Amino acid sequence: MYANVFTKTSRDRITPMVIGASAIGLFLLLGMAVYKDVDLTLYMETMPPAILEMMGIPEGADAAGLAFGAMYSFMGALTIAGLAISMGTASIAGEEMNGTMGLLLGNPKSRTTVLVSKVLAMLLVVVAGAAILLIAGYIVPPLLGVDMGPYHIEALVFHLGVNALFYGMLAAGIGAWTGKAKMASGIAVAVMVISYLAYGILPLIEGTENLIKFFPWYYFAHGAPNLHGVEWSDMAFLGGLSVVFLALAVVGVNRRDLRSRTTGTSLIDRMREHPVTKKVAERIAGSARVSRIAMKTASEHQGLLVICALIMFYFTLMMGPIYGLMDEVMLELASQFPDVLVAMIGGADMGTFEGFLQAEIFSITAPVTFGALAVLIGSRAIAGEEEKNTMDLLLASPVPRSKVIVEKAIALVAYSVVLGVVTFLGTWATVSLAEPELAVGNIAATSVLATLLGLVFGGFALFLGSITGRARISAYASAGMILFGYFLWSFMPLSESFAGWAKLSPFHYYLGSDPLVNGMHWGHAAVLAGLFLAFVLLSIPSLQRRDLR
Amino acid sequence: MDGTAILTEGLTKHYGDVEALNDLDLEVTKGEVFGFLGPNGAGKTTMIRTILDLIRPTAGRASILGMDTHEHAVEIRNSVGYVPGDLAMYPSLTGRDTLTYFANLRGGVDWDFVSELAERLGSDLDVKVGDYSSGNRQKVGVIQAFMNKPDVLIMDEPSTGLDPLVQREFQKMVREVAAEGRCVFLSSHTLSEVQRVADRVGIIRHGRLVEVQSVDDLRSKAIRRVEMFFDSQIDGSVFESIPGVREARINEHSIVMSFDGKMDQLIKTATSNYNLVDINSQEADLEEIFLTYYEDEEVSA
Repeated sequence: MYANVFTKTSRDRITPMVIGASAIGLFLLLGMAVYKDVDLTLYMETMPPAILEMMGIPEGADAAGLAFGAMYSFMGALTIAGLAISMGTASIAGEEMNGTMGLLLGNPKSRTTVLVSKVLAMLLVVVAGAAILLIAGYIVPPLLGVDMGPYHIEALVFHLGVNALFYGMLAAGIGAWTGKAKMASGIAVAVMVISYLAYGILPLIEGTENLIKFFPWYYFAHGAPNLHGVEWSDMAFLGGLSVVFLALAVVGVNRRDLRSRTTGTSLIDRMREHPVTKKVAERIAGSARVSRIAMKTASEHQGLLVICALIMFYFTLMMGPIYGLMDEVMLELASQFPDVLVAMIGGADMGTFEGFLQAEIFSITAPVTFGALAVLIGSRAIAGEEEKNTMDLLLASPVPRSKVIVEKAIALVAYSVVLGVVTFLGTWATVSLAEPELAVGNIAATSVLATLLGLVFGGFALFLGSITGRARISAYASAGMILFGYFLWSFMPLSESFAGWAKLSPFHYYLGSDPLVNGMHWGHAAVLAGLFLAFVLLSIPSLQRRDLR
Repeated sequence: MDGTAILTEGLTKHYGDVEALNDLDLEVTKGEVFGFLGPNGAGKTTMIRTILDLIRPTAGRASILGMDTHEHAVEIRNSVGYVPGDLAMYPSLTGRDTLTYFANLRGGVDWDFVSELAERLGSDLDVKVGDYSSGNRQKVGVIQAFMNKPDVLIMDEPSTGLDPLVQREFQKMVREVAAEGRCVFLSSHTLSEVQRVADRVGIIRHGRLVEVQSVDDLRSKAIRRVEMFFDSQIDGSVFESIPGVREARINEHSIVMSFDGKMDQLIKTATSNYNLVDINSQEADLEEIFLTYYEDEEVSA
């Protein structure tokens, strides 16, 4: 059944890819159906060609072009690359973290063989994902009676696959070199997200033509493969870097001692070792950290919180100065974006600072960051303890299952609130420093709503983990909920016949009231808080009823 | 029932078609060490996780200290210490952090007693769980179960990974618990360990309780290993007809057998047919008894 490392890895990983790529294909279908419903020609005639070019849309664009741009170049590229990163991380560092590396290498396989087999499996899985996108790309337009237009869908999918492999190999290389899985996936995801955002923002600032080339997303997107076919020099660049990463990975994994099981060193551990901070750290670690389940849970995720908080603080802080640098002509143009394009950046009016902030931070970055924090904590809250076999010991203590859920939810709320406060402070600071006008109350309201939105996703993940006892299923399904929710909210309203659907999405209750402009919408906040509470309450009977794994 | 620590009535657990536990009736009293014996996959862990309410029975019920294991799950755990079979703890916590955590969940612990336990087992509590060898990790698991002086200690193959010296200390600790009138329920497939430490044993096989006996009874009524030497060639059929003779092996002038019949009858038969030169009889250890049970089971099954 598992002939070798290659087939086993491929089998383990193909399912999430098939589901992920199929979901993107489904989004393409829905997106194209929405765009088909809208009369685009009127908008398109008013758009300057340069802007369209940047967004990968040809003059006189049609439903197909817009849908490919939104679903494939954005969601599809991030999803496939994200899955590749998870495979790249797992290739060496993941096996070490799980303590299975020793067993694997107990067989007559060299480290290089194991690494290369896993990289080949990653290649196969990425190709499978790309193939699904390609097939969907060919099927969907005729299915809806939409003209395929002049698009090079195969070139777009090719770019997308090479791009995914690049990030996957980056993660594999770091993982193989250090043996640290969290570091590998963290850096690769950060590089991907930052370069994606930079690619969107930098063209709006004058004199950054060369700077943008330092961000790998540039090589994926700037050639607009959908229009012009494969940009071979860019692909060779990304491919070449991937090969370099592979070579580094081979050297890295062969050069060092393997870890039998990664314990990871937290901030507290470092402080505990340092003579100056030892006493304080000892008090925090020795008493507070293990004082109760919520504290223990929180301490497990401190690294995650630090990363998420840094991302939010850094990006919000940058927005004021960047806005100041922006080319007024570009801003003027952006303010005239037709609704269909505005939907791609979260329904914001780029002509104002509120709109700019919403487009760059609150429509995508914030939901993804708040969502990632909450989903990672929520999905592991119950299922993680079960999968790691620690739940037996925990529940052998005189603690009811309901209390475990509540304690885990407290940790989830505490960290989401911290992230919300950091987001508020970053935004408030940037407003104070760069002096774009924005009411403090509106910043606070938006931060509160973002916190609640994250909690809804985290609560959903907690609930799924309580039902299934499987962290990965819970995390993937919750990520799907974020994607689908975003899709419902941002694209459905474009078409009158689908407009009502947006209310089904949690995003509607987050940004639907334009909190950056209008301030707090208590009704929407109550809906989000109610959803979160409902998921937590539903988790209790779900866990109480079943056998622990 | 004042003296009852653990009671199961018709306890049954099915996973689909698989009968992991079948109609298990068992009573374990305070002040005793009960050894739960069985080969891998016999249902030992399933039984233990069921009475701890980690999994729920398909049929039947169980109680600990007179309280239903499901209804009063939380109260029960105030009085129960547990070492899981597949012991896993939090890799990033030190041994001491881990114990502090579980102590906090129970509302505190006597740290002098913890230190004493750690010293007896030779456990360094300042190492991270993830950096322990499996034996050293097991020690922390054992300390965790003992530290609150629970009335009922339930341990699933607790001496896994412990070296012989530590095992001996552990067995002493187990005996002390029983001497204080508390109850220890431990599963094992290491018969020698159970023989040394337990008052009674239950033997489980394919989810069914095959036998419950005191270790003394099992040993005394049970099988002896008898060796007899004669001055001439003997005929095996003379002995094989005697009730209680098993696995007789004849080697010209001598015979070796497992015997659980009447010694008087054996000797009379031997001396009336041949000239008995020497006889050597010794107690069989539990290992032999155990194998005999299982071989019988397999023959009848």
